[in-house]
Amino acid sequence: MNRHDAARTGIAGRLSNLRPTGTVWAVLALIGFIAPLFANQRQTYVLMHVLVLAVFATSFNVMLGYTGMVSFAHGAYYGVGAYAVTLLWIHLGWPSLVGFLLAPVIAGAAAYLTGLVALRAVQLYFALLTLALGQLLFVVAFQWRALTRGDDGIHGVALPQLLMPTTNRYYFLLFATAVALAILGAVMRSPFGATLQAIRENGERAGFLGIKVKRYQLASFTLGGAFAGYAGAMFVIMDRGAFPLLMHWTTSAEPIFVTLIGGLNAYIGPTVGALIFGLLQDWITRRFVFWGLILGIVLLVIILRMPGGTVEGVQRLVAWIGRRRDRAPRGEPFDESSQPADAAERPREGAPAGEPTAGGER
Amino acid sequence: MTLDMLVLQLLTGLSRAAVLFIVAAGLSLVFGALRIVNVAHGSFYMLGAFLAVTVAAFVGGPIGFVAAIIAVPLLVALIGAIVERVALRSLYDKEHLLQLLATFALLLVFHDLVRGIWGERPHRLTAPDLLRGPVDLFGIIFPRYNLFLIGAAIVLAVGLWALMTRTGFGRDIRAAVSDPEMLGMVGVNVPRLFTLVFALGAGLGALGGILASPRSTVLLGMDVEMIIQAFAVVIIGGLGSLVGTAVGALLVGITFAFGVLFVPQAAMAMVFLVMVAVLVFRPYGLFGIPER
Repeated sequence: MNRHDAARTGIAGRLSNLRPTGTVWAVLALIGFIAPLFANQRQTYVLMHVLVLAVFATSFNVMLGYTGMVSFAHGAYYGVGAYAVTLLWIHLGWPSLVGFLLAPVIAGAAAYLTGLVALRAVQLYFALLTLALGQLLFVVAFQWRALTRGDDGIHGVALPQLLMPTTNRYYFLLFATAVALAILGAVMRSPFGATLQAIRENGERAGFLGIKVKRYQLASFTLGGAFAGYAGAMFVIMDRGAFPLLMHWTTSAEPIFVTLIGGLNAYIGPTVGALIFGLLQDWITRRFVFWGLILGIVLLVIILRMPGGTVEGVQRLVAWIGRRRDRAPRGEPFDESSQPADAAERPREGAPAGEPTAGGER
Repeated sequence: MTLDMLVLQLLTGLSRAAVLFIVAAGLSLVFGALRIVNVAHGSFYMLGAFLAVTVAAFVGGPIGFVAAIIAVPLLVALIGAIVERVALRSLYDKEHLLQLLATFALLLVFHDLVRGIWGERPHRLTAPDLLRGPVDLFGIIFPRYNLFLIGAAIVLAVGLWALMTRTGFGRDIRAAVSDPEMLGMVGVNVPRLFTLVFALGAGLGALGGILASPRSTVLLGMDVEMIIQAFAVVIIGGLGSLVGTAVGALLVGITFAFGVLFVPQAAMAMVFLVMVAVLVFRPYGLFGIPER
C-alpha cells in the first residue's frame, strides 16, 4: 500500500541522520536574539509572527509528522487559546499573563473533548470530522456576540507595562517560543514520542504490541491542541486582540502549509517553514496582491516534487555535495553512481551510505 | 407558527438543498472514482458563477443566462480536465493528505486568478424574467426561481442516475469506484476515464455556481463558503454515494432553513452538529462504504 510506504518514509529514518540540527538551532537562536537590533517596528512584528507560527506549526506537527493524523480543527484551538486570554481579561479582568498561562490548559481541554468525538473516525473521515468540529467552534465564536463580540473581535488587551514596547514583547515571545519548542522536543524524544511514531508507522502493529492506539492518538491531539492554544495566547501578546477568523478552518491550513514548506519529517521542519513562510508572506504581500497564487504554486511544487520540504531539500543537497566530494578523488564511476543515486531518491530506508549515521538514537 | 410558514420554510430548504445537491454530486462523483477529496471543487463553483456573469453580459438579454448555463459548465469542465492532467495525475499514488493539500493549493491559485480577472467587486447575475417573481402554490407565495432550482435538481438527479446505471460510461465509473486496477486490466482506459469524471465533476460544480448566483451575489470567497457546505453534505451522505449526496443535501438544506427560522444565529452551527452526530454514529456517513 502506498500509504504504508509513505508512512514508513517518516521521521524515524530521517531524524537519525539529523545530527547537524543542533547547529541549525543555535544559528536560529542567535538570529532570533540579534534580529531586533536590525529590524524596524514593522519587521519586528513580522518576526513575532514567525515565532507564533513556529509554535503553532510545531504543535501541529506533533499530530501530522509524529502521529500521522491530519486535523483541520487546529486553528480552533489556536483561537481558543487567544480567546482564553482576551475573554478572561475582558469579562473577569484577569491579567493577560495569567490568561497566557491558562490558555494552553483551556485549549488542551477543548482539544481533549473534541478529540474524544473526532477519534471515532479514522484517517480521511477523522480529518473531515475535525473540520466540522473546528467550524462548530468557529461559529460559536462568530455568533455568540455577548461572549466574544462576534465579528468585531476584541482589541486592545492590556499588557503589563514591561511588555508595551515592541522589542520587549518580541523577546518575551522569543523566550516563550524557546520554552514551547524545548518542551515539545523533549516530549517527542521521550518514550511517549517514540510510541506516537510507532503508531504513525503502523497503527495495527502498534496495537498488537499492546499499545492503546486511540488513547495515544487522543493524547497527541490534546498535546497539539494545548500548544496551539499556547501559540494563540502568543498571538494575543503580539496583536493585543482576538477575532473569530483565528478559528476558521482556513487558519487551520496555515500550520499545514508551514509544516509542508519546512518539512514534516524533522522536528525543526515547522520552525524552518515558519521562518520562510513568514518572511516570504511579508515580502510578497507588500509588493504583489496575489500572495495566494504564489503560495499555491509553491505548495503544489513542494507536494509534487519535494514532499520532505525544505529540510529534506537541504539534506539532499548536502548529501549530493558530499558524494561529489567523495567521488572525485576515488573515481569509481560505476559502483559509486548507482548506489548513492538510489539512496538519494529513497533516503528514508535508513541512513544512506556516505552520510553520518547516528543510528544509536533509534 | 402556522402550517403555511412551515411549508414555506420547507420549500426554501428544498431549494437550498437543490443547489447543494448539484455541487456536492460533482464532489462525490470525483471522490468515488478518483479517491480524491477535491477542495478546489469550491473554485469550480466560483469560477462557474463568475464566468456566467461574463458570458451573460457578452450575449446579453434573457438568452444570456441560458447561454451561460449551457456554455460555462462545458468551459469549466475543460478547465477541470486540464487541471486533472497537469496537477492531479501524478498524485494518485500519494497519500490522501497530500492530495487534499494539493487541491487546497489549487483553491488558493484559483482564488487569486478570479480576483485578478474579475476584481474584488461583487457582481450580479440576473435570471430571465420567465424565472423571476413569485408563484402562488395553493395559497403559499413562493419565489418562482426557487421552484426552478428544485426542478433543475430533480432533472439532474434523474439524469445522473440514468448516466450511472444506463450507460457504458456510468458502468465504467461504478467499476472504477470498486476496483480501478481490475477495470484497467479488462481494457478500459482508466486515466482517460478519470479525466472525464473529473471534468464532469467540475462541470457540475460550475453549474451549481451559476444556478445559485441569481439568489445572491457573485462574490470572491463564495468558493470557501460553498466547499465547506458541500463537504458537510457528502460527509453526512457518505463520500462517493449519489443517493447519500441527495439525502445529505436534503438534511443540510432543511436543517439550515429551519435553523434560520428558529435560531438564526445558530443555523450553520446546527448543520455542523448534524454532521458531527452522523459521523459519530456512522463514521463513514449514512450511505458511505468503509475506505478501501
